[in-house]
Amino acid sequence: MFSSLLSLLSLGLTLTFLTTRIPNFAHGCFATVGIYVALTVHKVFKADIYYGLPLAFLLTGFLALLQYLVVLKPLSRRRASVITLMVATIALELILLAVLNIYADYLARTFKISSRYFQLRGADFQLAGERGLLFVAPSLVAITTLLLHLALTKTKFGVAMRATIENPDLASALGINADLVYKVSWFLAGGLAGLAGGLLPLWFIGNPDTGDYMLVSIFAASVTGGLFSIYGGLFGGFFVGFVEVLGTGKLALSVGTWIIPYRPIIPLLAMVITLLIAPRGITGIMVSRVRFKWIRVWRWTG
Amino acid sequence: MTLPVEALFLVDLMSTFAPYLLVTLSLNLEYGYTGVPDFGKTLAVAGGAFLVGYLPGRLLMQLLGVGLGLSYVEHNAEIVTKINEFLRVNVPLSMAVLALTLALAMVVGAALGFLVSHPAIRLREISLAMVFLAAGEALVVIGHNYPELAGGTLGIGVPDVFAWAGEYRFPMVTAFMIAVVVAVFIYLYLLTKSPLGRLLRAVRDDENAALALGKDVTKVRIKVITLASAITALGGALYAIYTGSVIAAAYQKVSWTFWPWVMVILGGTANNVGVVLGTFVFVTVRKLIIFYKDAFAPYVPFDVVWLDMLLLGVALILILLYRPEGLIPEKPIKTVAVRRVTAALKLREPGIKG
Repeated sequence: MFSSLLSLLSLGLTLTFLTTRIPNFAHGCFATVGIYVALTVHKVFKADIYYGLPLAFLLTGFLALLQYLVVLKPLSRRRASVITLMVATIALELILLAVLNIYADYLARTFKISSRYFQLRGADFQLAGERGLLFVAPSLVAITTLLLHLALTKTKFGVAMRATIENPDLASALGINADLVYKVSWFLAGGLAGLAGGLLPLWFIGNPDTGDYMLVSIFAASVTGGLFSIYGGLFGGFFVGFVEVLGTGKLALSVGTWIIPYRPIIPLLAMVITLLIAPRGITGIMVSRVRFKWIRVWRWTG
Repeated sequence: MTLPVEALFLVDLMSTFAPYLLVTLSLNLEYGYTGVPDFGKTLAVAGGAFLVGYLPGRLLMQLLGVGLGLSYVEHNAEIVTKINEFLRVNVPLSMAVLALTLALAMVVGAALGFLVSHPAIRLREISLAMVFLAAGEALVVIGHNYPELAGGTLGIGVPDVFAWAGEYRFPMVTAFMIAVVVAVFIYLYLLTKSPLGRLLRAVRDDENAALALGKDVTKVRIKVITLASAITALGGALYAIYTGSVIAAAYQKVSWTFWPWVMVILGGTANNVGVVLGTFVFVTVRKLIIFYKDAFAPYVPFDVVWLDMLLLGVALILILLYRPEGLIPEKPIKTVAVRRVTAALKLREPGIKG
């Protein structure tokens, strides 16, 4: 559950880092936007919470696009360093956080609903005696992965996207619209975060700073999976999610329940250990090993 | 309190300004001069503060024989009140405890910085920043959940080593903090102006060139992180002593890592005067907004707390877009040789400026 949502989030983060080389600190807040779309749809418009998902996808997608076009693109055109861009996304995060807080206050005052530390578990449908989210979230991740994989390998735009990731200058020289690729990846990243956010209150507690709180986990997932491969985001999300949930469970059984509050440290530890062993993340090792093997095979046969 | 409101405001302003200045100056040493993206200022700040929460109270408990056998955390308020009665009349003891605490806070900060720098130093830019961030978060999580360290979720009271100053306690602490800041500023000013300062810039601008000239770049980075963390921990410790309590929840990455970054970028990286100005502007704007909160309230349709976050975010983006070098940009270093050359040039051709 947690893993599915985390991998949706870290996928977007990896995507924008891969294409535009911007570590996006505002990514957590995109998820919070999704959370509040879900809340508004459910409580204000009294609609099924799943109707909020397309809306959350579009809204946060456009928000991410706007952020890229208005702030980050002019900055990177001025050859700003990665750190400068990172600080810029921190500024955007502060703005989003403020806006979300204002919106939460507005909701609470105008519609008399609890807009802080809320949970919408009851809003989910039931399927075979289990909550719907148990089926929806993993299948959403599966569909996203499948679509992404198909798009990247089978469509012309996907190939253009991979080319831009490998070498932006060469891709532009070949007539690929690199800017369009960047815009699409920001939109997708925002949208996926919005989707994850839209599902989040069905399982977890929502608050204006939920996304900000999750940010470190998202980054840990992305970095563990590998920031230099799209699948790294997905894989890292699942890996870190599992390590966090199962690791906490196992430790609680073997060491004692006092360990449970230390749960946020686990993904951080996973990240630091991964970075020490493989500075490019898990997918980084896999690629290099596979290549190594192929070269060896090629040498033997050739 | 007999002090007028304006004086109280000034004391409040200065008391926030001083600890933040220690954090931003050390961050400037790391990022501005050496190019190490330390996104874990929280680590050292919390390290210094937790030490203040942990040590002086327990130490004085043993020394003065107060509440022996009781748990320091559970009977915190009671014990601290008793200790403060002793401290109020015993100035030398207060000062000795203060000096010891600050020194140990710096040691703790340095140790934390040294520890983090080892795994971190092998990485570059984004990964490096992530490790720092992770380390800071991890320490705060521990502080939050392990009550013995800093009172956990409830926080912990700290013996008041300035209790002897009576009603002038807060101005007194503030004055002391400013003295510390001035000393640190002079130290960093001299350091960055010295040949070592030029070495740091060399490490930042061209690592390979520095390596080729026989400088151990890794060692320089580790030393800088250690020193900067010690200064940062000093800031954290002073702030904890000023407020008289430590609570882990107060050491968030936003307020102790992101804000200092904003201040440094605002003022101008690799320029200590600029960083002082940037920190001052940032803290003053925030304090003014809070001070005149009621005056603002009718004009903004939402809680004023969020207004300053909005303003900060927008201001930071505008600065990054239109004045990336900050309020006061980095200046070339005037070494003796450079000064001589410019003087000689001026003598020969009065029209040319150096």
